[in-house]
Amino acid sequence: MNASVKSARVQSLFQEIFASATQSASESLRGWTSGQISLELDDVHELPMEEVTSQLEVGEEMLTIIALTLEGELGGQIILTFDEENGRQLAATLLNRELNLEGDWSALEISALKETGNILACAYVHTISELIGKNLIPSPPHFIQDFGASVLQQAVMAQAMTSDRVLVCRTTFLRGKEALDWRVFFVPDHALLSEIHATVQSAS
Amino acid sequence: MTQALASKKEPLVGMGQVVMVGRADLSRAVLGSCVGLVLYHARLGIGSLAHIVLPSSEGRQGPPGKFADTALPFMLKSLADQYANRSGLVAKLAGGANMFGGQGPIQIGHSNAEAIRAGLEDVRIPIVGEHLGGNKGRRVTFETESGDLHVEIVGEPTATI
Repeated sequence: MNASVKSARVQSLFQEIFASATQSASESLRGWTSGQISLELDDVHELPMEEVTSQLEVGEEMLTIIALTLEGELGGQIILTFDEENGRQLAATLLNRELNLEGDWSALEISALKETGNILACAYVHTISELIGKNLIPSPPHFIQDFGASVLQQAVMAQAMTSDRVLVCRTTFLRGKEALDWRVFFVPDHALLSEIHATVQSAS
Repeated sequence: MTQALASKKEPLVGMGQVVMVGRADLSRAVLGSCVGLVLYHARLGIGSLAHIVLPSSEGRQGPPGKFADTALPFMLKSLADQYANRSGLVAKLAGGANMFGGQGPIQIGHSNAEAIRAGLEDVRIPIVGEHLGGNKGRRVTFETESGDLHVEIVGEPTATI
């Protein structure tokens, strides 16, 4: 893979870029949730394709997912996942309502989650866009309820076209100091990964 | 690559993997645009499940289960090694969805299914069940005791092919 993370130095620079993007997303998310929710970058993984879902602990359970696609020459996927309770809890908090775990999701609840994904993704992508000096265009957010592994596999498909290994970033969401069972995955496609790699190489 | 007979722990078959599934065993996969291909030998009660990601290797190296054109020969050889000859095999397919409502970057489900169908036709293995397309993921469970492939989609009743 041309754009693979080849050395500890390059790995460290990759980590810096994605940590910076995560920091921007965290600040935006704190603003959106009145300071309640933040996020931290755990690590940048390069994994064999067949191990993606098991290594990232995205299993067979049904998840609530907000997915955005980067459109244009440089592509990728940003996927925000919640289990049912955490997704409902976030919507209830944002809408200042009592938590209700019964029944279908209302249009308002879906809209609140979509906006969360939109705010997080735009901040994240904007930082990477500035670092690499290229325009990145996120799509409108999609609300999906599906098996987590199905969605993550689709997200890594663009990398799977050209490589048997895929690069993904994993983060932890926090309410205060308490880790939440939310996850966000950023999966750049090969072209974007090459641009990030070129930026890293010129900086190293 | 897992080539040994699957255990009773219902192994989850990851992207690009192929497993042999022994008598009275189960195997599972979670699929999006990927296609799960089952080859099953009813008399011997054994089979194989591949989690196929892309339609064609175009000469590239990779895990044999990753591509339709490399998965099928690999499965046939693995089954032949267990005395399951081609003439006794039937095929079942599931998956091949257009995820994200068809808005995602790589919508390859239909191409995957077509490549697998063509490969099966070339080697004259009949397809006895299909559950393909749509825009939702699938969780499939293959059991060799009955040869059934159970297909689950979120919000829908389980289908068996």
